[in-house]
Amino acid sequence: MSVLLNKNTKVLVQGITGRQASFHVKRLLANGTQIVAGVSPNRGGENYLNVPVFNTVSEAVRQTKATASVMFVPAASVKDALKEAVEAELETVVAIAAGVPIRDMLEIKNILKNSKTMLIGPNTPGIITPSEACLGIFPENIHQKGCVGIISRSSTLTYEAVLETNRAGLGQSTVIGLGDDMILGTGFVELMRRFEADDKTKAVVLIGTLGGTYEEEAAAYYASLKNPKPIISYIAGSTLSFNDKMGYAGDIITQGSRTAEDKESVMRAANMKVVRQINEIHTCLKDLFL
Amino acid sequence: MNIHEYQAKNILSGYGILIPKGRIAYTAGEAKRAAENISAHGPWVLKAQIQSGARESGHFLEKRAGAKGGIRRIKGRLDILEEADKMLGATLVTAQTGAKGKFVSKIYVEEYVKTIRKFYVGLVVNRMESCVTLLLSDSEDNIMETAAKFPQKILRVNLSLDEKIKPEALEKIMHFLDLPEKSQTELQNLINGMCQAFKDLDALMIEINPLGLTSSGALIALDAKISFDDNALYRQPKIVPLHDDYEEDVRALQASKYGFVYHDFENGSIGCIVNGDGLALSVRDLLYGKPEQMACFLNVKGGVDKDKISAGIKIIMTNPRVEGILINILGGFLRCNLVAEGILSAAAEVGLNVPMVVRFEGTNKDEAEDILAKSGLPVLIAKDMEQSVSKLLKAMEEAA
Repeated sequence: MSVLLNKNTKVLVQGITGRQASFHVKRLLANGTQIVAGVSPNRGGENYLNVPVFNTVSEAVRQTKATASVMFVPAASVKDALKEAVEAELETVVAIAAGVPIRDMLEIKNILKNSKTMLIGPNTPGIITPSEACLGIFPENIHQKGCVGIISRSSTLTYEAVLETNRAGLGQSTVIGLGDDMILGTGFVELMRRFEADDKTKAVVLIGTLGGTYEEEAAAYYASLKNPKPIISYIAGSTLSFNDKMGYAGDIITQGSRTAEDKESVMRAANMKVVRQINEIHTCLKDLFL
Repeated sequence: MNIHEYQAKNILSGYGILIPKGRIAYTAGEAKRAAENISAHGPWVLKAQIQSGARESGHFLEKRAGAKGGIRRIKGRLDILEEADKMLGATLVTAQTGAKGKFVSKIYVEEYVKTIRKFYVGLVVNRMESCVTLLLSDSEDNIMETAAKFPQKILRVNLSLDEKIKPEALEKIMHFLDLPEKSQTELQNLINGMCQAFKDLDALMIEINPLGLTSSGALIALDAKISFDDNALYRQPKIVPLHDDYEEDVRALQASKYGFVYHDFENGSIGCIVNGDGLALSVRDLLYGKPEQMACFLNVKGGVDKDKISAGIKIIMTNPRVEGILINILGGFLRCNLVAEGILSAAAEVGLNVPMVVRFEGTNKDEAEDILAKSGLPVLIAKDMEQSVSKLLKAMEEAA
């Protein structure tokens, strides 16, 4: 088992014929991800990197039974690509692009509300279940199959967390980058639920950042669980005071000033293990299992 | 992206929001003509156009500008020339500008509007509930402080950008601000105008602070601020030209031209190049309590153009505060070899005179390390983040 994605997941790639897409699709194919279709308007009927290309997502889903999509479309097209994915009732969609306008994200969140689709991202490295499949741009060479689930709001720190689980000798079950943007397709809670139910995952590493209250939501959910799996969390910028220069002033006005320390104390109160340096994660993991 | 008060007011006025009559002036003579054009007898208000709050309580660095702040009420026509002359070309320091202050190159000349009460009105993105939130307060204090200390003094109303404000919500606001009956239509127009502008222009935040209530029940924007979503500027051709390059830090401006983000901290001597804000912040966390701190960082994001990366690296290399450089790249989308080549070409142009430690991980890591090893540059390679920090601190100690 794993979360969201395994070697049997049938994947389609939206925007497969783009320049950046082809670099990463080649890698995904080489590492075993089952890419069954590509979507690119007006390119239907072609074969690209030996993957059949369709004009629309619906057509691709009808023909190939794909259930997940990784979107390599540019930021300006993410909203339309997501609409297509929702209409085709895909289960999991990853948006890689950085720079999706906030107004588009507000609309996207509305579209997702009553849908069967979970959006991961945008501005994310994606999802990887090591040695099985990847929906995104993770560098395959740093991953080891294992028992730690990772959920991160910082793309680059997702990799750092991966390295920490390797150092602990535990590896990863599934790794999910939530994206660096202000508005996330999916927050921590839904994914914590999945990891909690996954028999291969023994512990979860949660990487938070300043701004928003995603971490507080995660803590509230965790506190409601009976005998949950251990969670280790780190908030980037724990030695920084949150101000309007680093963050979004709107957050401060709507929620009051929330520092990393505020977040950490809520997480501690919920019985998560909180570390103040990212390189303490591996020692914490070792303490749990050795 | 932020704009000036006069630009924000001009935009809001186009959405039916009442603003005082005003004109922009670059010289004292222009200010006088603007004043005469606005009203025959005053009083007027001269407002320094720098992008900062708390201008009224600020002070000028130059003695010749006088003791008063960046917003001055003027009664006599002859005083306009003198006061405008004092403010123009002087440097205004406010609670938000830092000690260096900001150069005043233009002033906004406005009619003085007498009001009986003042409010804060803001429209912001509510990221947790995926909507916009209207914030209202009759507190005179700074809104950030009010939010932190007395959250009950702020009314929060969630709104959809696709609908007009509902009568119940309007009623609630009327009651909270204790507005007279006759202001209801004005309030409705104000809020709908703000929402429409927010949506049309891809704003991230619109603040009217203060909003004035006149004795006749009119609501008038006495100050205004709009921030726009940088990611949406590609579809806002009318907003882009409003950008004032002089408002930005030179390095931040340069970085933004390449699609990168540059951030300055107040103290420190280490320049950091990363491909994610989180990465920079966790390096900063690692430096906590150490003898050298982070001076600045450049986030090259998913940059895939070698020349741009090279230009970005130069921004850090040529920063006089930087005495050591730490490059920490976790390649996914971004390929490490492009960064290595970027380092080479930047060093060839501006030289590498301070210690540099590089840590690569992920896509094309080996190729990247190989490029640096063969270059003959005195670059130290680290295997992880901790080592990158310890190697750099040691090298900086030896160089000192």
